[in-house]
This record gives sequence, structure tokens and C-alpha cells, in this order.
Amino acid sequence: MRSHPAEYEIVSPGTLPGVLRLLDEQPGQWLPVAGATEVMVMFSAGKLGARRLVNLSNLPELQSIRDNAKTLTLGGGCTFSQIRNCSAVHKHFPLLAQAASWTGSIANQNRATLAGNLANASPAADSPPALLAYDAELELVSARETRRMPYREFHLGYKKTALRPGELILSVTLKKHYDGYFLYGRKTGARNAQAISKVCVAGIGRLHDGRAMNVRIGIGAVASAPLRLFGVEQAVEGKRIDDQVIAAARRALDAEIAPIDDIRSIAEYRRWVAGNLVVEFLRTLAASGDTFNPVLARWNALPPTEAAEEILPCCGSTRWARELAALQPLSTPEEVLQAADRVWSDIGPEDWDEAFRSHPRIGDRRPAAHATAQSATWSQQEQSAAATQDAHTLAELAAANAEYEHRFGRIFLVCATGKTAAKMLEILRTRLSNDEATELRETAEQERQITQLRLRKWLGL
Amino acid sequence: MNPQRYRLRVNGDVRTVETHGMARLLDVLRFDLRLTGTKEGCGEGECGACSVLMNGDLVNSCLVPVAQAEGTTIETVEGLGNDERLHAVQRAFLECGGAQCGMCTPGMLVATAHLLKKNPQPDLEAIREGLNGNLCRCTGYTRIFEAVERAVSLAGEERA
Amino acid sequence: MQEKVVGKAPIRKEGLGKVCGRAQYIDDLSLPGMIYGATVRSSVPRGRILGIDFEPGIPWDEFVIVTATDIPCANEIALINHDWPCLADGIVNHPEEPILLLAHPDRHLLPKAVAAVRVRYEELPAVFTIEESERVETVVWGTDNVFKSFLLEKGDVDAAWAEADLIVEGEYATGAQEHLYIENNGAIAVYSAEEGLTVWGSLQCPFYVHKSLVKLTGLPEERVRIVQMETGGAFGGKEDYPSMIGAHAALLAMKSGKPVKIAYDRAEDMAATTKRHPSRTRHRTAVTRDGKLLGAEIEIALDGGAYSTLSATVLSRATIHAGGPYFWPNIRIRSRAYATNCPPHGAFRGFGAPQSLFAIERHMDHIAEALGMLPEELRRRNFLKPGQTTTTGQEIREALDLEKLMERALAEADYYDKRAQFDRENAAAGMKRKGIGLASFLHGSGFTGSGERYLNSLAAMDVTAEGRARVLVSSTEFGQGTNTILCQIAAEALGIDYEAVEMGPPDTSVVPNTGPTVASRTSMVVGKLVQSAAHGLKQTLLASGLLSDRYTTADFHRAAREYLAQYGALRSESRYQAPPGVHWDDEHYHGEAYAAYAWAVYVAEVTVDLATCAVTVDDFVALQEVGRVLNPVLATGQIEGGVAQGIGWALYEKVVWNRGRMQNNQMTNYIIPTTQDIPPIRVFFEEQPFGDGAYGAKGIGELPMDGPAPAILNAIAHATGVQFDAVPLLPEDMFRRIAVREPEVVAT
Repeated sequence: MRSHPAEYEIVSPGTLPGVLRLLDEQPGQWLPVAGATEVMVMFSAGKLGARRLVNLSNLPELQSIRDNAKTLTLGGGCTFSQIRNCSAVHKHFPLLAQAASWTGSIANQNRATLAGNLANASPAADSPPALLAYDAELELVSARETRRMPYREFHLGYKKTALRPGELILSVTLKKHYDGYFLYGRKTGARNAQAISKVCVAGIGRLHDGRAMNVRIGIGAVASAPLRLFGVEQAVEGKRIDDQVIAAARRALDAEIAPIDDIRSIAEYRRWVAGNLVVEFLRTLAASGDTFNPVLARWNALPPTEAAEEILPCCGSTRWARELAALQPLSTPEEVLQAADRVWSDIGPEDWDEAFRSHPRIGDRRPAAHATAQSATWSQQEQSAAATQDAHTLAELAAANAEYEHRFGRIFLVCATGKTAAKMLEILRTRLSNDEATELRETAEQERQITQLRLRKWLGL
Repeated sequence: MNPQRYRLRVNGDVRTVETHGMARLLDVLRFDLRLTGTKEGCGEGECGACSVLMNGDLVNSCLVPVAQAEGTTIETVEGLGNDERLHAVQRAFLECGGAQCGMCTPGMLVATAHLLKKNPQPDLEAIREGLNGNLCRCTGYTRIFEAVERAVSLAGEERA
Repeated sequence: MQEKVVGKAPIRKEGLGKVCGRAQYIDDLSLPGMIYGATVRSSVPRGRILGIDFEPGIPWDEFVIVTATDIPCANEIALINHDWPCLADGIVNHPEEPILLLAHPDRHLLPKAVAAVRVRYEELPAVFTIEESERVETVVWGTDNVFKSFLLEKGDVDAAWAEADLIVEGEYATGAQEHLYIENNGAIAVYSAEEGLTVWGSLQCPFYVHKSLVKLTGLPEERVRIVQMETGGAFGGKEDYPSMIGAHAALLAMKSGKPVKIAYDRAEDMAATTKRHPSRTRHRTAVTRDGKLLGAEIEIALDGGAYSTLSATVLSRATIHAGGPYFWPNIRIRSRAYATNCPPHGAFRGFGAPQSLFAIERHMDHIAEALGMLPEELRRRNFLKPGQTTTTGQEIREALDLEKLMERALAEADYYDKRAQFDRENAAAGMKRKGIGLASFLHGSGFTGSGERYLNSLAAMDVTAEGRARVLVSSTEFGQGTNTILCQIAAEALGIDYEAVEMGPPDTSVVPNTGPTVASRTSMVVGKLVQSAAHGLKQTLLASGLLSDRYTTADFHRAAREYLAQYGALRSESRYQAPPGVHWDDEHYHGEAYAAYAWAVYVAEVTVDLATCAVTVDDFVALQEVGRVLNPVLATGQIEGGVAQGIGWALYEKVVWNRGRMQNNQMTNYIIPTTQDIPPIRVFFEEQPFGDGAYGAKGIGELPMDGPAPAILNAIAHATGVQFDAVPLLPEDMFRRIAVREPEVVAT
């Protein structure tokens, strides 16, 4: 221990306003200390310049995790253990959970905080690449103001950040719209645990028609601060990942990074590994298969009311449309289809009925009163197989429809796609023998199938 | 700066020390409270010899200023068990040869107790990860893994 | 076997204290009125001290200050030569060399005070590598920078070249290695004119410290007392340096009249204390087309650091082991230990053998490749056999069957199938390559040549007031299991329970000089002395009539107590006697180099990630013949721990030097394996009891350090097709030669 504790002062105001006031009133006098895993190393080594420290470890305001529908907000004082153990982080931001697991040992993860990691601004820190790839946003707070800033603008140079005097990182917010992305996270250190990164990469992106889309890459330990690889991203965006694009990405990377020789590795090796890992990311992305859907991407970006309006024709229930839109962003078509089923079964008979009423009678060319234009068009297409049938069958269908409506008080609904009028008539007659409850379930199931088909059409699947 | 009074509950007893806020929890335990079971190996949170539990969480006591330990509950190796009544992990380390020079042992035992509390049936991978912050230079860890597995079964027997 | 205690695995003697946290290490000990000492060290590698200034801002009058002029007698740390000063006097020869000592009651004041002592130097030219030293352009030690050299010759090497179908050459290098015992060095000294000097410390060899302090202080031997505290790992690193720290604490205690504690922190311990000798070994081998080794010329160079310390003996072991476990009809080995301006390199588990065995075991794979032969086949054709002689001309008299040993190791490792499988899989382009490699080797137990005879060790046993048997030796416990093994041996010999035997205190005022706790000699040599002392004790009790032929442990206690009551004391001693017919020629390095060798074959399986050049050891088989295994748990623990250190030396542990100073003297930056870096280490023993060792034991502690590095590098060569001949081998050392097959695309 190479410092004298008597030469240091540490205070614990105990509240965030108290801390901020202190930082404001005596600017530059106090070093905030949260998990202390860096400060105490410097202190023990006799290298801690600051003599006065203010304790953040007991501020509840910094430790909350807010899991909203579309965002996840991590308090700056969250420890890496909290982050690792947070199910929302696991579900939506696995690269961050992974980075948290890389940060030192369990004992260090129990103490070290997210904000401390960012404010300490080590170029080799493990969490920044993931936060850069996820395009996190920071909320910064001082006694005078609260402001937001994209994390990508936070690091200004070696151990230099955009934090103003008296300012703390209040929270880190991540948007939950990466669920269908291809993810890549890899760290190269001197050993498998408790290693300071030699190179650390986090990449996300997706493929559409074999082309790379929305690629974002964060990288650590290859420059004076954690880096977003904008150049590489640009070199691959919208491109098929072939050898030429890989070569262009390598060139872009070479121009963007500036690794150094230090006690842990050498510049040349870091450059070589950075290239290999970025290429590994791009190649595995290319091999990951299409997950990108432009309709879905556009829809995900719509305001909820518009989003609900757009999908209403697929089902007809406004509540269904509203609730599905509330799940924005949905990352993959598969997820949309699953969510649609889930919402449909949740909403129940009253809202089902609204959907049922949006369909025309089988055999009837006129649109239903409640139908949207899109729904009417789809109805026509769905019944096209039946439309070719003769007048006699249609007359029989009309009669059976009427009997059905009389018996169950609503129009007969069947997933018509590919079915002839005769087939539908046969189904109708069978279902006329159902009891009320069975037939309601059957109708809801038919509506579900129709909705699935329409969603697929909408998504262009 | 003048020393201040700090209160901690250590191995079940409330203890008060008068010291500087930046004094390391490790030094408070070893020098002020004379609990020398907790060891210093590196002073930079790398070796885990100083591992203790703070409010149930595993921490490196060399990286905790006592000001941040104010009001907390601390458990050290001395609180795990004693000669008359050994903790299952202590027994297991004895029986399996998990302790050689003994210097990493207190921290290793505390880390093991922490691991088993969080995960009473860890597989080998979980054991490796749970102890990855505790460096041992004698055993090559293999006896230690065996000891943790033995501790799991001993703890099971104790419960039964 | 009919033994009751030996061969079993009773609970480690001092284990309970260790798991309960009450084992007392040096920094756990605090004496009334104790003050704290610190060391001012040189900041330059070599220079003349022009002056020492004490900067203002420090209450210097409160400090005890010691310089070389305060040394009562000889300013030296006594080892083999007399060149290692306790405190630099006018000249410094390496960074971190101790110059001046400070002590103060407030330990937290010391770092600042140390920093405020300004030493002015006239810097002198320095050398930092073997290559710089051997050029002798700058002489930093003696007349030629050579601490010691050996020439070992057998047969007629010069004639072998003519017979050879092939001559294979190679050069191999190994780096320094830090012991990284988890407990740093430390000592406490107390002095008074009445009581003399007492030093407690973390140490391996109480009588080494004793000898050194007697010379330093000029006090009579009986006025100097050394006590070993519980010692938190040593691995050779607490063989010589505790004499230095003990001396420093003693000087401060003598000057201040107060107890003084010096406890190094990690950074000081790593920067200032000894490391494994870096080495360079050149091989030139004559071999026939069918793989018969005809002759070899081996040239070994060790970097000894600034003072000779133990370099001569490290070099000796490196020299004797350089030929490996093979029969060489003709061989010439030249070896030299060079001076450089680094802190002195010292003892570290293996003591020179890991360096020269790394070279021969890599070289064997090179020869096999040159011959188009499998590595195991080349070894099979050249293994030493009974009746043949080693490089020193020592005849193999035991029933040695290395081929059988190797076949078992290869079978345990599933070597043949794995090798074929990896060859197949590696042919397909992928980013992961797998390989398997082996090393076969030997390790001499005990001191080299006449060493044990010179040591003339004495062990004793007595009984306590309660009638418990007590082992009195200066052999110390620092994790290996000395206490347990010696108590097992004593219990076995006495025919009583293990629990009824205890260890005497490791205190030079109580125990006789059993020699140092080094060189894998404790079980075999000291154990034998304890065995015979125990026999003596038993005979005395039997002869006294207090104990009958058949007795229980309780009978023994009773008899011992009665004996004490009647005669006042019961003690039995046993002194080392060289086995008959053992001949060693120190001048020509010829004869029985060791009383016994342990033999081993290790197999490593690795994966090399071509994207990062990270190497993972996936599986490790360690098979050895170490004579009788006295305690399977302890023996297995020794092997596993040694293998882990070997893996560290091979793949992780790099000392980063800058002008003779270690730059990465932090645990964060000097990388040893964690729980997540160690493969399954599968340990197997073949037991062939050795007649002159305690209950058939040979040495075991150092052996496992020898095999991992060459086995792993051989496996890497198999995986990648690239030959690497230096350790530590880090990804940074590999990547330039590992091609990643990335298509070349012309910019468009």
C-alpha cells in the first residue's frame, strides 16, 4: 500500500442532489468514486492524484434498472453483476451481458459499475464496444442540468470524455430493436478470465437479400478510446459480403484504428487481430441467413397509431392491431407471426367479433361494411378459387350462409385460400352441426389462419 | 484528515473502528480488527486472496475503502467455521488437498462459499467461472475443483 | 505393501490452521513496539553512486536509516561466492539493487520517504542479454562476464559427425519466470545485546539465512536464530532472497533497537527478487537415417543477472539434464552462466533442468521431422536402458523401461487416434487447429554430485512432554507437504498413528541443520534421515524395556513419558551417509550425478485459434515414475501445480524487460493461469521403489516443471505446421508466422 490514508478524504453525501451540489460548489475538487475498483488500484499503487473523493456507491438514484416496452435504462451505478443478472439485458442486449461477464472477476463485477467503466474511459474497457454497437444513449446529470447524448459522442480522446465538470453519468439507455439482429462479440485477452482486452469487438447487423444492413461495430483497445467503426460500417452497408467487400472493410479498418505497443501487447498484433475479428464478424454475418425485412423495418419505425392502422386489414380487430403495434419493434417476421397469434388468443370473443365482421360472406362479392380497402382486396384474392364456381353452388352457399347466420348470429368464416366453393360448402354444412362454443373456437381459429396468411402477404414472405 | 468512526458487522459481531475513510477494508480487518485470515496477495484486485463477503456479495477487500463498507455486513474466513465446527468447504479443502501453501485458501474458501450459495450444484464450468478471480500458484486448481465438488456433496449430506 | 501410513493420504498436518484462517504468515505477526522497514533501490542498471540526498518534506529525524556503513561485519549475502552485497556500497549493478534502508513506526509514511531519497549516479555501460554479455564488449563481472562454465564430455563427438547420415541443428530459448508465490517476501527482526538476533520470515532454508546473518553481523552462531513462519508458496523463490530481506530487517533492528518488519508489496517483490534464469541452448546432433542418435554438441547459456548467487548450481543441473532421457554414445556439453545487469536470477522449481530439457525435447521433434519419423518413434529408438550410461557416465542400474512408460502415457492420452484425427481435421480449412505433442524427460533427485555429502545433513526426533513423537528438521513446509510427509514417514517407522507425530518448530535454535528445502530432496533424502532417526527412537524405547515388541500408539505415548521421567530426554539423530560405491568427479563432471532420477512422459493436446493465435491446452496427461508415492493426494497436487506453472511458463508468463528492470511487475500484467485456463490435468504414477529413499521415494517437486513447455510447443507445431522454439510463446510471438488464408483482392 503506497498511499497514506490520512492524506485522503472521502465523503458520502448519500443523495444524488447532495453529491451534485458538492461537485457544483467545489468544481474540480472531488473525484466521484462508485465501485472503486479503479480508484483503489491507483490508491494502493500510490498513483491516485485526487485527494478528495465523493462516494456514489450508496445512491439509489444511480442503481435503478427501468425496463420499458421499447427501451431499457440502466442506472449508471449498476454493477456488472446486476447487468449480467438482468433478464432484459440477456434478452435484448446479449452482447452487453457478455461484456459484463468479461469485466474482471466475479468479485470485481460485484463492485465495478457501468458508469464507472465509461467515465474511467479506458480504451480497453469491455462494455464500450457493445454499447457502441447498440448505439446507446447516455443521460448526464449535474446540479444545473440533465442532458442526453449518444454514447458514440462520449469519448473524445485518451481518457478524455464529454463529461463536463460536476457532471455524472446518470443512466445508459438502450433501444430494444435489435432482437432479430445477427450479433457478434469477441474479446482477445492474455487469458480466459480476468484479462484486460488486447482487442475487443462487438458487431451487429442483418442481411437482406444477402446484403449487409444496419451494420454497427464497436471496438476496444485499438485506439486512444473505444471506437465505432463508421468506416467499416460504410464499406459494407448494403453490400454483399464478398471477398472484395471484405478487403474494402479491412482497408477501412486499417485507416480507422491506431493501436499502440504497450505492456500488454503490440500494435502490429492488435491490428492483425482486429482485422481478423472484424472479418470473422462479417463472414459469419454473411453466413447467418436473411433476417432483415424492409416492410417490418419501416413498420417498426412508424408511430403506434399508424402502425396499428397498417396491420388492421390483416385481422380486423382494432384492439388486436393496437396491441400488436404496442410490441414494436418486432425484429423478425417470425416474431410478428408469433406475436399476432398470442395477441389474437388474448383478446377474446368481443374483439374477435369485430374481426369476423370485417369479412364478406363467402361467395359474396361485396365487401363487408367494416372492411378496410386492403381487407376487401385480400378477401377477393382469398376467395378467388371459389369465384370460378357455377351459379348453382353459389346459390347453395348463399342459403347455407343464411342458415349459419341465423343459427350463430354472425357470418360464416373459413380460411378460403385455395378452397373451391364446393369444398367450402361442405365445410359450412359440417360446422352447422357444431355447438355454440365449439363453433366460436373454430371461427376464431379460421380467423387466426386468415390473419397469418395476410400478415405473410403484408411482409412479402 | 481526522479519522472517523465506522461501524461494520463482521462475522456476526458489530465492530467499530476509528480510521480514515480511504483505509482499505483489508487493512481494517487485518490491522484494526486483527482478523489476519484475510490475506493480501496483490493489492490490486487481481488475486482474490483478500476475498470477503460484503452484504453477501464477494468482493476484494483491498479495493473497498472502509467508507464504502460503513454499515455493511462482512464475512471473512474466520466466520466460515472453526476448528470445532468446520464449514463444508473447509472440510472439503482439507480432505481433497485443496489447500497447499494456504495463502490463497481463505479467499478461495470465501469465494467457494459464495459460489455455492448462488449455485448449490455448480458444474465444472460454473466452478471454474465462480473462482476465476482467485489465483492459486500451488495446486493448478485441480485439487480445488475436486474440493468444491466434495463440498457440494458434503453440504448435501449436512442438509439430509 | 504392508505400510499403514505411508502411501495413504492423511489430512495435511497444518491444514486445519490454513482453512480456518489462523495460520500465521509473516505479515500476520505483529510484535509490541514494532516499526516498519523499507528499501531504497537503485533506479539505474549500473552506476557509481555519487551521493545520496534526503529531500525536504519528510521528518527524517523520525526515521532509522541504514547504509552499507552500518553493516557490522561482511557486506554480503552468503551463498556460493562472495559477490552479492547486502547493500550497495559505491556501485550498483542492477536496477532495484538495495542501497539504503529506512524504518518508521508509520508504515504508510515509508513509500513517500523512499521516493524522497535521491541517489545520484554516474551511470556506467550495462548489458542486458546473454548476447550482449558474451560479446564482452562491456565487462560487468569478473574479467569475462562468466560466472561459471562447465564442459562435459563423453565418447568422441568429433568422430560422430563423420558417421552421421544427417546433422540437425537448432537453437532454443526460454524466458525469465516469476515465482508469483501468493505470499510476498517478508521478515521481522529483533535484536538485543542479551538475546542476540532473531529473524522470523517467509523462507525455505532457515540455515541459509542463518549462515548469511552470522557473516553479516559477526555474531556467534548461537546468537543468531532464524524462525520460519508459515510460508505462502516459494517454488525456489524463497531460497536465497530471504537472506537479503532478513539481513535488511536485522540491520534496521540492530540500529533501532526495535522489532522491525519488512513486508514487500507485490510490485517490489516482482521487480526486486529473483526469477528463473533465461536461457539459450544450441544443439547440433549427428543421427543415422533410421533415427539412432550418434552424438551431440550442446551449448547452454544462462543469464544469471548481476551477481553469481546460485547460478553455478543452476547451470550444473541444466548441464546434466541437457541430454534428456536418451542414450548418447558421444556428447559434448559446454555451458556458461553469464552476468547481465538484471536483478540476479535464482532458484525456481526445476533449477536449470526445465531450460535444457525444453531445448532437447523440442530438438527431438526437429530431428524426427528432419528424418520424416514420428516423434515418439525417434524417442523410442534412443531411450536410456538399464546398463547404459547417462551423459555423465552414470550407469542405469534400476529396472528402467521408458518405452513402456511412454506407451502408457500415449495410451492415456489417446495419442495415436488423436494425432490421426487432428491431421485429418486440420487439412480442412478452418480457423481452429488442433495438435498433440509429447515430451519425455528425467529429473535428478537431491543435490547434484557430491552436494549431499557436503551438506552432511542431520535430522532428529524427540518426544514431547505428552509422549508424542516430534520430527526435528530444518526442512520447511511451504505448501508441498513437508510436514505431512515427514510425519507419515516417522509414524510409519515408529509404528504409531500419524496423528501421534508432530513437527518441531522450524527454528534454528531448536532443530538441526537438515539442509535446505530444495532440489526435490525432502522426501527422498531428509525422509530417509527421519526414517532412520525414528528407528533409533523406537530402538531406544524398546531397549529400555518400557515398550514391548507389540504396542499401540497409546503404549508408545506412555513409554515415551516414562522414559522422559526416568532419563530426562529422549532424542535420536541421523546423519546423511552417501550410498556406497557412488563416485562423482566435480572437475570433469563425471559419475553419479544423482542418487536417483525420476522419469516422466507428458502429453499435451492444444487448440490454436488462427484468428488470434491464442493457444488453449485442452488436455494434459502427466505420467511419471517417482519411486514410491508416499502420499497420493500431495503427490498429485505437486504434479498438477507444477504442470500449471509449466503451462504458464510456456504460454502466458512473460517478463517484460526494459534495461534490466521488470516492467510488468503487477499481477494484472504478469499473466499466470486462472481457473479458466487450465485443462484437465490427468496425473498417473508408475511406482518403482528406490532403495535409498524413504520407503522407496524419489524426488517429485521439480519434475512436473520440466515437461509441459516442450510438450505444448510440440503440440503447437503439430497443430500449425510451424515450429516455435522459444518460451514463453505468446500470440504476439506467433502471429507473423501464422498465415490466415484471406483471399487477396485488388482494390477496385
